Amino acid sequence: MIARDLFLRLKGSFSSVIQRADLPSDQRLFVFVEPAALKNICYHIFRVFDARYVISIGADDRPYSGKFLVAHNFAFDADHLLFSVLAYLPPEKPEVESISEVVPAASWAEREMRDLVGIEPVGHRYLKRLVLPDAWPEGVHPLRKDMAWNEVPEGLDNSREFMFDDPPEGCAVVPFGPFHPTLDEPAHFRLYVEGEMVRGCEYRGFMVHRGIEKLAESVLGYDDIPMLAERICGICGCVHNVAYAQAVESAAAISPPPRAEYIRSIMLELERLHSHLLWVGLACHIIGFDTLFMHSFRIREPIMRIAEKISGNRKTYSLCVIGGVRWDISSELKGELRHVLDGLEKEWKPVVSAVTGDKNVQARTRGIGVANRQLVKEVGAVGPVARAAGVDIDCRRDHPYAAYGRVEFDVITEQGCDVWSRLLVRMKEVFQSARIIRQCLDKMEEGPLQAAITEELPPGRMGLASVEAPRGESHHFVITGENNRPRRWRVRAPTYQNLQAVPMMIKDQRIADMTISLGSIDPCFSCTDRLETIEVRSGTVRLWTQEELLQAARSKKPGNSGE
Amino acid sequence: MLNKIKEAIVCLRPGRVTLPYPAQAEPVPENFRGVPRWDGEKCIGCAGCANNCSARAILVLDPCQELRILQYIGSRCTYCGRCAEVCPEKAIVMSNEFEMATAEASDLQQRLDIFMSTCQRCGRCFKGAAVLEGLKMSGYRSDEVGSGRWVYRSRALLEGDAVVDDIPIELD
Amino acid sequence: MANVAAGLLNVLMVLLVAPLFQGIQRKITARIQARQGPPIWQPYFDLLKLLGKEDIEAGTVPAMQRFAAYLSLAAVLTVAFLVPMGTAVPGALVGDAILLIYLLTLMGICNLLAGLAAGSAYSLVGISREMMSMVVLEPLFAIAVIVGALHAHSLRLEIVLNGSAYSGTGVPWSGIVMLGLMLLSFQAFVQRVPFDISEAETELMEGPLMEYSGPKLALFKYAQMAKLVVYSALFIGLFIPWGETLHPPLALLLFWLKSLALVLLVAVVAATHARYRIDQAVRYFAAMMIASLGALVLAAYGY
Repeated sequence: MIARDLFLRLKGSFSSVIQRADLPSDQRLFVFVEPAALKNICYHIFRVFDARYVISIGADDRPYSGKFLVAHNFAFDADHLLFSVLAYLPPEKPEVESISEVVPAASWAEREMRDLVGIEPVGHRYLKRLVLPDAWPEGVHPLRKDMAWNEVPEGLDNSREFMFDDPPEGCAVVPFGPFHPTLDEPAHFRLYVEGEMVRGCEYRGFMVHRGIEKLAESVLGYDDIPMLAERICGICGCVHNVAYAQAVESAAAISPPPRAEYIRSIMLELERLHSHLLWVGLACHIIGFDTLFMHSFRIREPIMRIAEKISGNRKTYSLCVIGGVRWDISSELKGELRHVLDGLEKEWKPVVSAVTGDKNVQARTRGIGVANRQLVKEVGAVGPVARAAGVDIDCRRDHPYAAYGRVEFDVITEQGCDVWSRLLVRMKEVFQSARIIRQCLDKMEEGPLQAAITEELPPGRMGLASVEAPRGESHHFVITGENNRPRRWRVRAPTYQNLQAVPMMIKDQRIADMTISLGSIDPCFSCTDRLETIEVRSGTVRLWTQEELLQAARSKKPGNSGE
Repeated sequence: MLNKIKEAIVCLRPGRVTLPYPAQAEPVPENFRGVPRWDGEKCIGCAGCANNCSARAILVLDPCQELRILQYIGSRCTYCGRCAEVCPEKAIVMSNEFEMATAEASDLQQRLDIFMSTCQRCGRCFKGAAVLEGLKMSGYRSDEVGSGRWVYRSRALLEGDAVVDDIPIELD
Repeated sequence: MANVAAGLLNVLMVLLVAPLFQGIQRKITARIQARQGPPIWQPYFDLLKLLGKEDIEAGTVPAMQRFAAYLSLAAVLTVAFLVPMGTAVPGALVGDAILLIYLLTLMGICNLLAGLAAGSAYSLVGISREMMSMVVLEPLFAIAVIVGALHAHSLRLEIVLNGSAYSGTGVPWSGIVMLGLMLLSFQAFVQRVPFDISEAETELMEGPLMEYSGPKLALFKYAQMAKLVVYSALFIGLFIPWGETLHPPLALLLFWLKSLALVLLVAVVAATHARYRIDQAVRYFAAMMIASLGALVLAAYGY
């Protein structure tokens, strides 16, 4: 059903509470409702219409409308529709009924809203700090418009600690992270372990929270932000770059020229290739198979080199500006790219067949880290995690963007729901990516690279973009603003939702499998963390100061060993 | 077991792929985005690079009517290449240098002192900026090139107008 | 006298050659992984570097940590004293096969002591894994020695460690079975992938060795390197001892060549396998145990 049909269906049940609706296109719908009706509508959308939950967003709209704004985004994948239900909240008492009871996947998003914007989710069952460090005082919310981006709040208390729950009966506590050889970035999983079996875990993360959304709202302009967005993540930077550009283009109704769209698709698929190859190597390293790790990286190297030839850098392509792309692919480069793809497929096929028949690897990955269809739906998991559970979602096909509507490819799904299935999904997606790139190279038309923008971008318009990162759906929400910068920019990386599935995946499994389970969602903690730098000169306020860390490592307080 | 032998053959075929870097220099492709290099002869002082630098790593100071100081502070540069892209005179080239590690921050800096002459026909120093670039500049730049701080003064301060919507901030 | 000299020569050779074998292993692994790898002298430099580092005592019981470090290398070198490496068995004066089995077990216990003394959560998980695998693994070597002793009707080391597994009448079935089993489990004795479970770096951050740094870590690493040489010597002594009657220099050379072949085998298997989980490894060892008990019964009946 297209946007209009969904709106009519909603109007049938909820016409009394709907205040306004925007239908910018057939694939986007924004419905403004009264705050009290939000929970009911979200229940209806999530359970009755069976949509997929994407993200909840809180924004401080007081300089423009005098109120706070809360938005819940959903996706109707089969109908190619992205839908957002919004409500304005009174400025004196920004409270909203929590939807985490009916939509469990909203748990983190609401905690983040509470931390950063100060919108209180009433009825949320687990109201602890998510994003801000524990030293942060109460009542100070960084993403509010009255707080400057480089302000250090008073009342910072570095001695305050995160209050973990008590472990269940008979369990020892094994702290996993923030320092661990398997993790690329810091995250803390507090495992409750009985012998070798994990009985539960608690997660405290957001240690690389950098203040990106605040910077974008206060300091940078529209064309500066793609460079910043690219640095949200080292591996999937291009995705954020493109998704932001698309969100602004969708808000301001700008269409990039076709050649730009093809180039965006090609670079996105190149990024997917390099990311999947990296992940296969990393997964093998986690299970102790270093040889395959080395070979995956060797096979991946030509992709980095061709990306460097096209864009000037191996990884940070700095590809997009609003309205187009910055680099062109000449015909020599096209020939080289085809050559690289041929070589890649030739090398990758024997690796896939060797790994598929390898009993040793299968013994370590079958039946591990199980995330079945129901967990995927409840938690809103996306990407290979969902596809390995048989859930057929892929933003390239469901919400076509760039040139994906014009090429053919298969969406790989497996039924195993475990780490082995995710390994298979990613290995096979490599071939699909090569197929897409070849089709794009054949179909690419001549033309300009950037759309000519001759007027100011209208303020106050909302844009949504969902881009398929190697890890899943990366969703950007932009409200355009004055002074050449957005009013609000929200980044929802795929790992944000996938991480919420991890505690269930590792429950009742062994510690040895914990790392590969965590690794199988391809965690990108940089993507997840993103927000709030305090002061440019002295750096972020961390969870642990250096003295505390040294002290904790040298003392032997119970429960702190190894941290 | 047979699979392992198959894997071993796959592994042994490529030989040795380790490059002799840094014993031998590694060539970079021609459009590699290394350190940007300014050509003082070509620069007209439009400060397009400074206004479009995403990292705020290019500073501008106008000591007087005819003189403009442009300073590139390399410490925060992300090598995105926006400066080279928007330069109307192609005075900035993203060079091939990437081995820039140094203990002295001043090694990374470049500074141009430019004499601003006006066009005889239109009387301006350079062409107006493009739409997306021009919008954010409703004031003037008065950066502290000595200490390296980007200071942006809103026109309001000049005109005594207290009501502005962009934030009069001292950015760094 | 000559025996004692030979024993001391053994110890010296083990100390000198163990890092070289480690270096060769790393080079072979690197070639399989299509890269250059470190020079074969690298482990010497690594040990020197570790010995020069600051010795931070961060575990629960520092005295026990020190003791465990010294004990690990000492136990390995004592076994080296007893085992023939191209020369006659020096330890004939000192002890017999029972002492050998005891010392082998002591070598395994050093890691447990190390982990216990450290006391951190990861070390404890590591030693629990090590204990589980020791229970099913150590007896394998003991049974190999006992099979040899049964065939040779003697517990004396110079007889047992001289191909005694084949010395029965007729086709030595039990000897061949034990040879096969020992080849299959050799990897576990020397703690290399797929059986380096207690020290799984990516899962447990080095497990029992986590709280060790500097000189103590050097001792543990040295002990690990030397374990490979000593276990190869034991294996060669039990199952492929031929050539020991040649002139001393030739016999020595032959022994070290055989050792090198075993090292190559270990390196290739380590490079081409993923690490097993502890329960899978224990199941694997248990299967071997049962087979070895079968071999023991065969040996008791003279086959």
